[in-house]
Amino acid sequence: MKIENTKAQMRKGVLEYCILSILKDDDAYVAEILSTLKDAKMLVVEGTIYPLLTRLKNAGLLNYRWEESTSGPPRKYYGLTETGQLFLNELNSTWSDLQNAVNLVTNTKTPKK
Amino acid sequence: MNKTVNINLAGIFFHIDEDAYLKLSRYLEAIKRSFTDSQGRSEIIADIEARIAELFAERIQNEKQVVGIKLVDEVITIMGQPEDYLVDDEIFEDEPKQHNHQKSHTTRRLFRDTDNSYIGGVSAGLGHYFGLDALWVRLIWVILFFSAGTGVLLYILLWALIPEAKTTAEKLTMTGDPVNISNIEKKIKDSIGSVSDNIKNVDLKKHGDKLKEGFDHVSDTVSDSVKSVDFQKQGNKLKSSSQSFFETIGTIIMFFLKVIAKFIGVFLIIVGISALIALIVAFFTVGVTDAIHFPPMNFLDAANAANIPMWLMSTLLFFAFAIPFFFVFYLGLKILVNNLKSIGNVAKFTLLGLWIMAIIGIVITGVKQATEHAYDAEIISKNELNIKANDTLKIKMTGFDRFNSFVYSDHNDFKITEDDDGRNLVSSDIKLIVYSTTDSVAKITIVKEASGSNYNSAKERAENINYDYTFSNNELQLEAYHASDVKNKFSEQEVRVILYLPEGVVLYSDVNTSKYVNHYYNSYNSLLTNSNDGQYLKINKNEVECLDCEVEVIEEEEKAFNEVETEIIESITNTKSTNENEPEVRVQINDENGVQIEVNDN
Repeated sequence: MKIENTKAQMRKGVLEYCILSILKDDDAYVAEILSTLKDAKMLVVEGTIYPLLTRLKNAGLLNYRWEESTSGPPRKYYGLTETGQLFLNELNSTWSDLQNAVNLVTNTKTPKK
Repeated sequence: MNKTVNINLAGIFFHIDEDAYLKLSRYLEAIKRSFTDSQGRSEIIADIEARIAELFAERIQNEKQVVGIKLVDEVITIMGQPEDYLVDDEIFEDEPKQHNHQKSHTTRRLFRDTDNSYIGGVSAGLGHYFGLDALWVRLIWVILFFSAGTGVLLYILLWALIPEAKTTAEKLTMTGDPVNISNIEKKIKDSIGSVSDNIKNVDLKKHGDKLKEGFDHVSDTVSDSVKSVDFQKQGNKLKSSSQSFFETIGTIIMFFLKVIAKFIGVFLIIVGISALIALIVAFFTVGVTDAIHFPPMNFLDAANAANIPMWLMSTLLFFAFAIPFFFVFYLGLKILVNNLKSIGNVAKFTLLGLWIMAIIGIVITGVKQATEHAYDAEIISKNELNIKANDTLKIKMTGFDRFNSFVYSDHNDFKITEDDDGRNLVSSDIKLIVYSTTDSVAKITIVKEASGSNYNSAKERAENINYDYTFSNNELQLEAYHASDVKNKFSEQEVRVILYLPEGVVLYSDVNTSKYVNHYYNSYNSLLTNSNDGQYLKINKNEVECLDCEVEVIEEEEKAFNEVETEIIESITNTKSTNENEPEVRVQINDENGVQIEVNDN
């Protein structure tokens, strides 16, 4: 069992949630999503995001529109659908529950040491 | 100096170095292979290409700048290795790699390895499959070729049947390696590596030649390497020429096999399609719309005792027969068209389900039809005949021509006839039975019998049997047929005529009754048998006395036979007695001792 794998798995597990959160208010194109994620150190390499975006889009949580770009190929602007919004709300509550739970567990364990 | 290539990445134009181009296309290929179509492969690849184009565009100052290998490496670092694209479904699997490994071990498959082949790659493939070196497999083949010619046939068969490992994934399954991106990439790298090795070898050889020409004394080591290269090249040449020779033979054989297969395919298609067309035409003309009505149909209708609607029966029959023929047709098409699109599992299983349902339906109909004959009922009518002891009663069958007007056809004992009253189900299933009685007056009993799903319907059908007789001047005229309306269906209608005759009555049964007496008299203990019709019979208690028979015929015949036999015996002994002197064999045949043989040797 490699620590790298576990780390990557932890990150990948919440990656979908993060992507949906980024798109919560405004549409964004892939480079924007990527820079947000990379700034937050959620993502090390960019390749990971493409299958995820396609999967979310195929699940009906995201949709996209094309926009011309002056400095390269046309860009795909992603946005949340209604189902995506509901999905995100659900995940938000799950995440706060999880956060509390993890805090509780990790904090109660340390004093025993 | 570097050669450059022009590429179009997501609609943007780039100059790219050749080595950088090779690296990039290898990278994209490896990523492409890590997705399946269901994951939206083409879309993901398009997105990735667009992103790479974007990254290139950000890093290039003007249009004339060339994308170099450094830039490609940088972009690959940003984008991640092919493994990093593996997200989705295996996220929470602890050690996915080992899992893959175990799975692939069980799924090693047999392919022909054309990369390492001398003939068709069968040996190399078998070697991979059994984990042996191909050399041993080839040795076994050689032994088989020489010890028994069947080896050749077996090889050709395997050659034709085992698919060639064409794609990288197939090559990996062949060697039992797990199919994952790192392996695919490794394989691609290997193959590209071997190509560049070859190029290197060629270069080396050129250099070697030059060196040979110019500096003979210096280049011992170099010429050694050249020799080794030459040897390898020679080997490769031999290999490729043998390969191409057997490939040609292989193509010829495959061509003939394919022609035969196509013929079979065409045959199956013709059989399938003609049966289908016939069934469809029959289904719509006869089964559903009743547009054509031909005579045998009446029997189907009459046999349909359960009154199951015709369209239902024909639908069931249609599905029961059409679906297998459809699959025959499909098989033929599949043989003929190589990459025929599958009709899909849903369609296949729907058809299978329909077929099973049709079969079940037919079985149910059959059972229902059978239960229509579950109950038997009899209608009995009795009458007195003015016949007393010492009277003579004549019995005769009449009305043979009554139903000859229009006969559709025969079915067992039944005929369907049509006259002004409509269609009738006519049968000659009439049994004539005679008993003796102590009553003073003769009686006639007519028993009409039929079957049905319950007693009442059986009784009704029995009542609907029309059967009559006339009696006048001591002559009983029985109708040769009983008839009932077609709507009563086949329900095993039969009629028994039972006569109770006082002792002393003389019965004369016409010859034409014999058919109606035949076979039955024994089970009913009838006094009238099929050998004493056309004779005057005096009825005694439970037996008959023939008044005009030739008595003792059999005894006389026996006597005559005995006489002939004794004559033969005499003649033999006579001949013997004339040759008494001869010290020979004596044969004596007589009744007491049987055959006696004596050898007289004096």
